[in-house]
Amino acid sequence: MRISKISRNYYGYFFITPFILGFLLFGLYPVINTVTLSFTNATLMSSKYDFIGIRNFQRLFSDDFFWTAVKNTWLLWICNFVPQIGIAMLLSFWFTDVRLKIRGVGVWRTLFFLPNLLMPAAVASLYFSLFSFYGPVNQLLVRMGAMHEAFQFLSNETVARSLVVFIQWWTWFGQTTIIIMAGMTAIPVQLYEAAMVDGASGGQMFARITLPLLKPILVYIFVTSLVGGMQMFDIPFLLTDGRGSPSSSILTNNVLMYMRFSNAQGTIGTASAVGVMVFLMTSVCALAIFYILRERNN
Amino acid sequence: MSRKIYALLSLVLIASFALAACGAPAAPANTAAPAAPAATMAPAVTATTAPTVAPTATAIPTFAPPKAGQKILKVWSFTNEIKTMAIAYEGVHPDVDVQYTMIPMTSGDYQTKIKASLNTADAPDVIALEASFVKQYVESDFLADLGSLLPDAKAAKTYQFVIDVGTNQGVTKAFSYQATPGALFYRRSLAKAYFGTDDPVKIQALLSDMDKYTAAAEVIKQKSGGSTFMVASNGDFQNLFFANRAQPWVVNGALVIDPMVQKYIDTAKTFRDKGYEAQAAQWGEGWFAGMNDTLKDASGKPEKIFSYFLPTWGLPYVLAPNAKAKDGSSDTTGDWAVITGPLPYQWGGTWVGVMKGSQQMDLAKDFVRFVALDQTNLKNWATGVYTNDYLKKIDPSVPADQKQAAGDFVSSQVVVDGITAGFDNSDLSKFLGGQNSYGGFAAAAPSVNARLMTGSDDQIQRDLADPVSQYLLGKITIDDLWKTFKATVQNDFPDLTVK
Repeated sequence: MRISKISRNYYGYFFITPFILGFLLFGLYPVINTVTLSFTNATLMSSKYDFIGIRNFQRLFSDDFFWTAVKNTWLLWICNFVPQIGIAMLLSFWFTDVRLKIRGVGVWRTLFFLPNLLMPAAVASLYFSLFSFYGPVNQLLVRMGAMHEAFQFLSNETVARSLVVFIQWWTWFGQTTIIIMAGMTAIPVQLYEAAMVDGASGGQMFARITLPLLKPILVYIFVTSLVGGMQMFDIPFLLTDGRGSPSSSILTNNVLMYMRFSNAQGTIGTASAVGVMVFLMTSVCALAIFYILRERNN
Repeated sequence: MSRKIYALLSLVLIASFALAACGAPAAPANTAAPAAPAATMAPAVTATTAPTVAPTATAIPTFAPPKAGQKILKVWSFTNEIKTMAIAYEGVHPDVDVQYTMIPMTSGDYQTKIKASLNTADAPDVIALEASFVKQYVESDFLADLGSLLPDAKAAKTYQFVIDVGTNQGVTKAFSYQATPGALFYRRSLAKAYFGTDDPVKIQALLSDMDKYTAAAEVIKQKSGGSTFMVASNGDFQNLFFANRAQPWVVNGALVIDPMVQKYIDTAKTFRDKGYEAQAAQWGEGWFAGMNDTLKDASGKPEKIFSYFLPTWGLPYVLAPNAKAKDGSSDTTGDWAVITGPLPYQWGGTWVGVMKGSQQMDLAKDFVRFVALDQTNLKNWATGVYTNDYLKKIDPSVPADQKQAAGDFVSSQVVVDGITAGFDNSDLSKFLGGQNSYGGFAAAAPSVNARLMTGSDDQIQRDLADPVSQYLLGKITIDDLWKTFKATVQNDFPDLTVK
């Protein structure tokens, strides 16, 4: 009798054990291993390696490619995040607005979410074919008379960047909309009713009720998108030659890291250094977000 | 307070998920060149843009337990080609169970998996190595010395360049069952229209060096009114220039830009500016469309391609299967001819080596001997003996598409001399309007030189691709091209002297 009482108190630990084990093995260990490797000259093609202190990082900081990658990653993320959250906010506001009463919300929501179900590999391949020299976009524009002759879209920096931004936005705005909508529907209707009775306008209700109560959701979206954005890899990697072409315009942090990892020697030491920098950058920014958007107890 | 700790903890959690990817990068989806078998082609060296994506799961299969007393041999490759020979090997050696693993090479997936398996218990006994990275392994410490097989190579008269590629500092570590000399394929009907003859001897005389080839491109452009292009992409003739350099990319730890590299860029620029090149991406849809006359420019006007530079394997694996349009609207079969072309070169090829740590050293070496040097096997391989029925008799579980059609050009001169005449009336000869391509390749193979190949070539040549593409578009000057190229090479090889 007494034994079962004690063990019942420990049920919780049993339930979280699988996660904790998985986390230690596949989460924490790789992190520690990566940090360790970043201080070595380890390569995949040799079994021996030495600790070389911070030389990998010194090299990285004096490396134009790294700074290009950092700049690109931020540019591509911000250009996709700002419209993403803006449009998701607007859509959610319309869909949850009691006065607008938009029909078929479920259908719209599904349609917006659909691109998220496509594999990045398939999406990149699709856009690669669409915009290739002999592809449909060139055919359409030339036959409509918008262009005189076919254009090498994927060799143009602005086009390549815009495509990455668009694809990221297109695959993720539906997901963001759903999360924000969930947050908005969770806000008690009574608050709005009370506000209406007091004569508040739509804008006032949005700024004074919706936004503050949505803050935890927004912080979540902000941080997860940041973490994802700093690791942007699949679309930039697959859209052109996997090396950030044209002119390193879509070379992101993780594409650079993968290039270091998969080069002739497999230089995992320098690749890990890039990884650690991405980690630090993401952590610092995420902490800053938490700090700025923290709950203030007056 | 507890809220803050909670927030911090969740942040660490998120961030560590972020980093988890660094330790073991998820295998990227494969960018496979469509239709063409990855077998021997090297998109790495050739494709300037990533070809179409064909996602494939690359999970390592689980194998049925071997029968009692059977020896297990683990073989990894990037196509199912060698699997055919592995089954044939099991037919000769019933006591051996070859566990064959195929990992597509595209996007470097195969290379990454091999590197990750080095020094682990998962490492295979025998690995297949493609031309673009075989040197990296031959120059490393991971492959066993296969010098004991050299007498077999001598008996089979294996082409010298095939052995040279597998040799580093006098130690031979890999052999190939193929020799892959390159050639130039052209359209007979277009040759008749623009040069008045489709005779391979006369056309070869017209295109016997790169300047003549460029001059002929102008003739075709003028006479066709710009609707026929000499070549589909400038990447097509890149290999020719690289193969005919006087010096390798790296000499005494310093980067060397051979005059031939400059000549390649000049030629590519001429072809682009004068409109001799259709600007199709190699291994892209337009490139294949040109093979069966369904290429159309953006306004819908038909375009034709006069010639393709392809090696031995390019004929059965690339050109012949793509000569017929998918919708059956056009078919160029029989309208092709093959010549040596402006410059001798070799392209692609699969070598096999044995991992140093193999527990089955003798067996693994014997397997390499069978695959690359056994004259009976090579003859069977090249003449279409390994049909699906043949393989099914040995192993009933063989999939229906596992087989080897006749026509691959093998590395043994003895075998080649013995079987060349047999190709006079083959399907591939009919494809070439009666020309025996095997004989043509046999004539070209001895002049191929692969001594310049090094493990860094692939990476350095990739570094050149984007600057060249930007230069051809007129976005950067030639000086910027070299500046970007050198900076990229320096970044990839920090210890290299780049001036």
